[in-house]
Amino acid sequence: MTETFQNLWLGFATALTPANLFYALMGCLIGTMVGVLPGVGPLAGISLLLPTTFGLDPTGGLILLCGVYYGAMYGGSTTSILMRIPGEAASVMTCIDGYAMAQKGRAGPALFISAFGSYIAGTLSVIGLMFLAPPLARFALGFGPPEYFSLLAMGLIVLGYMTGGSMVKNLAMIALGLLCGMIGIDHMSGYFRFSYGVAALGDGIGVVPVAVGLFGIAEILSTAGQEKRPEVIKPKLRDLLPSREEFRDALKPIGRGTILGFFIGIIPGSAHIISTFVSYAVERRLSKHPEKFGRGAIEGVAAPESANNAASEGALVPMLALGVPTGPIPAVLLAALMVHGINPGPLFIKEQPVIFWGLIASMYIGNFVLLLLNLPLVGLFVNFLRIPYKILYPMILMFCMVGVYAVNTSYVDVAIMSVMGMLGYLLRKFDYETAPIVLGVVIAPIIEMSFRQALAMSGGKYSIFIQRPISALFLAGAFLMIILALRPLIKKGIDWGWRSQLTKAEKGD
Amino acid sequence: MIKWRWLWAILLGIGGLVGNFGIAFADYPTRPITMVVPFPPGGVADLTARPLAAALEPILKQPVAVVNKSGAGGAVGMQFVAVAKPDGYTLLLALSSISVMPEVDKLFGRPQTYKREDFVPIALLNADPTVLAIRKEAPWKSVADFVADAKKRPGEIKYSSSGMYGTLHVAMEMFAHAAGIKLRHIPTQGGGPALTALLGGHVDAFAVGPSVIASQLKAGTVRVLACWGAKRLASMPDIPTFIELGYKDVEFYIWAGLFAPKATPPEIVKILREATKKAAHSAEFKNAMDKLNTPIYYLDGPDFQKFWDEDAARLARAIRNIGKVE
Repeated sequence: MTETFQNLWLGFATALTPANLFYALMGCLIGTMVGVLPGVGPLAGISLLLPTTFGLDPTGGLILLCGVYYGAMYGGSTTSILMRIPGEAASVMTCIDGYAMAQKGRAGPALFISAFGSYIAGTLSVIGLMFLAPPLARFALGFGPPEYFSLLAMGLIVLGYMTGGSMVKNLAMIALGLLCGMIGIDHMSGYFRFSYGVAALGDGIGVVPVAVGLFGIAEILSTAGQEKRPEVIKPKLRDLLPSREEFRDALKPIGRGTILGFFIGIIPGSAHIISTFVSYAVERRLSKHPEKFGRGAIEGVAAPESANNAASEGALVPMLALGVPTGPIPAVLLAALMVHGINPGPLFIKEQPVIFWGLIASMYIGNFVLLLLNLPLVGLFVNFLRIPYKILYPMILMFCMVGVYAVNTSYVDVAIMSVMGMLGYLLRKFDYETAPIVLGVVIAPIIEMSFRQALAMSGGKYSIFIQRPISALFLAGAFLMIILALRPLIKKGIDWGWRSQLTKAEKGD
Repeated sequence: MIKWRWLWAILLGIGGLVGNFGIAFADYPTRPITMVVPFPPGGVADLTARPLAAALEPILKQPVAVVNKSGAGGAVGMQFVAVAKPDGYTLLLALSSISVMPEVDKLFGRPQTYKREDFVPIALLNADPTVLAIRKEAPWKSVADFVADAKKRPGEIKYSSSGMYGTLHVAMEMFAHAAGIKLRHIPTQGGGPALTALLGGHVDAFAVGPSVIASQLKAGTVRVLACWGAKRLASMPDIPTFIELGYKDVEFYIWAGLFAPKATPPEIVKILREATKKAAHSAEFKNAMDKLNTPIYYLDGPDFQKFWDEDAARLARAIRNIGKVE
C-alpha cells in the first residue's frame, strides 16, 4: 500500500512537469474535439496523432494519446444530446434519452450529468487501474472464445428490454444489424461474404459509418422532411444545472455504469460500445419507471456515459499490465511505446515505473481538467441550438462526411454512411428504433467468430460452453433472464388456473 | 488588342506548364511522394514506413507522406497501388503477405484482387524469421517432444494465428506439413488477439515475430522452441532453426519491402532504388529499427526480386497444402 502511494507520488512528480502537463491538457482538448466531431472517433484520432508523438519522449507521447482516448469519451455525448448525432460510436445510446431531454429543454442538465458521470467513472477507473491492474489482467486473459460467446448471448437477450416500443420491431432490427455484420471476409475460412468483389467490403461494414448514418444523416433528413420546423425549447441560463431530483436519480446509474463499464472494458474486444448498451439495459430493467426510458430519462444518459468512460480506461488494463494489445486502440498505444524502444510486456510496470505511474497520475489530472473544460462548455454548446437549421445542418453533414472519410480514407465508408442514412430515415418514418442495428453490427462479427473459435477449440463439442465455469455462469444468467421475461406469462397461467377453480367453486355453490 | 495579348500570354503559360509535365521524370521528383501502407497505424509496416519516409525526404528533396490505406488484410491498399498511376509518386510498403492474396484468390478460383506482377520491387528493408512460441506450462522441451506428442494425438494441439491464410497460419502449416503432423488451427483477427489467446491458455502454441515476443520471453510467460530462419537469430542464439533440426525448406520470414507499380519508368525506379539504398543505410533509419528490435536486412531491387520469388514459391506451396477449408 505505502509502495503504491510512493509510486503515485513519483507519478505526480512526472505528470506535473510543465511538458507532461501540457501534453495531458493538449490530449484532453484534442480528445474533446475528436469526440464532438461526428465520425472521427478515438481510434481515428489517436491513429492520426501517432506519428506526431514519435518526436516526443515516451511518457509524454503516451500521456497525449491516452488523453485523446478518454477525452473523446467526454466529447462524444455533446452532439448526441444536442442533435441526436453520435460523436463517436460509444455514444449511440446517449442519443436516445439525451436528445429527448434536449427537446424538452433539459439539454443543459443532460450535458452536465454526462460530464459529471464521465468524471466520476474516469476517476474511479483510474483507482481500479492503479490497484487491480495485474490480477484483473490475468482474469481478462482467462476470457476465451466460449466466454465471449456466452457473454454476448446473454447481452443479446438483455437487449430485449433495451428500448421502448415494440419488442418484435426491436428484434427485427437486431436481426438486420446482425445480418449487416456478417458482411466481409469470413476469418475462419477466408471466404469473402456478400462483398460483391469490392475489396473494401472485406473488413465488413464499420460501426462508425453505420452509427453516423443511422443517427446523424437520418436525423438531418427527417428534420428537412418536416413541414414545420420542430420547436426546440431554448434553454434558459438557470436551466443549465440539473435539478436536485435529476441529480439524485443519476447518482446510482453513474455508480453502476462505472462498475459495469470498467469490468466489460477489461474484456478484450470492442467493449466500450457494448458496455453502453448493457448499462442502459440494466438501468431500464432496474428502474421503477421504465416507461420513461426513451422519453428523456436522466438515467439513460448517466449510465451509458459513465460506462463508456470506465470501459475506455478498463481497456488499458491488459495492455499496461501484460503488454497485450487487446484491441485496435491499445495496439496503437503500444506502438507509441515501441517506437521508443520500449516493448511493454508483463514486466512493464516494474521496469518502466515512470511511464506507468506518470500515465496514472496524468489521468487523474486529465479527468479533472476535462470536467473543468466540459462544464463551462455546457453553456456554450447549448447555444448551438440557437443556430438556424439551414446553417447548422449543412455544416454537420459536412463534418459527418469528412469524419467518416478520414477514418479509413475510404469512399466506400461514405457510401455506407449515405445508404444507412436513407435507411435510418425510412425506419424512423415507420417508427422503428435504429440503435439495435448498431449493436447488431458491433456484435455479429464477435459473436460469430467466438462461437466458431470455441467449437474449433473443442473439436465441435457444444459442451465447451457449459464446461467452462464463467461461460456457464453467463448462460445461466441468460436463461434466468428468459424465465424472468416469461414470468408474467406463467403467473397469468397460474392466475387462470386459480380463477377457474374459483369459478368452479362459485358454480358449485 | 490588349485583350488578345493577354490571351497569348496565358496560352503560352499553359503551354509551358504542359511542356514541363511532359519531361517531368527527367528531374523526378518534383512534387511530394505518397508511400501507401496497407495496414493501420502502429503495425510493423507502418513503423517501418515512417522512419524510411523521413530518411528518404532529405535524399529525394521532396516530402514523402505515409498514407495508411488498410482493409481486408492489406488487400485494399495493395490493390490501390497496383492500379495507381505508375509515375513514381505512389509507392507501396508491403509485408510478406503481399504474396499470399494472389495465391488464395487462385485457390478459390475468384478474380485476382491484384497480381504479384503488378509491382516492381525497389528494396527489401527487413526480414525477421518467425519463432515457435509455446505456453510456459506446456510439457514440451524441444521440437522433437512437440512433434512426438502431436503424432500421438493428431489434431489436438491447438495454435492461434493472425487469421486464415495469414502469415502466422502459413508459417505454422509449413512446419506441420514438413513434420507430418496435424495441428488444430484457431484463427483470430490479428497478431494481438493471437498472442492474447496463447497467454490466456486457450491455445498451446503459435508462430510469432521475435520482436513481438521478446518482452513476454523475458518475463517468462512463454518459451520459444525453434525459429523459421535460415540461420539462428542474433537475439536468440540458443534457439535452433527448423532447418538445423532436419525440416528441409521450413523457412519463413515476416519481411517489409518497398514497391512501385509495375509500369513505373526504369529511370524513376533507378532513382528510387539509389535513394532507398542511402536511406536504408542512414543512421536515423538504423536507429529507428534498433528501437523496434528489428534488424535491417537490405536487398536492392534485383536481389530482392530473387528473394521474393523464392519466398513466394514457398508460401504458394504451403497455401496449396492447406487447401480450401470447407
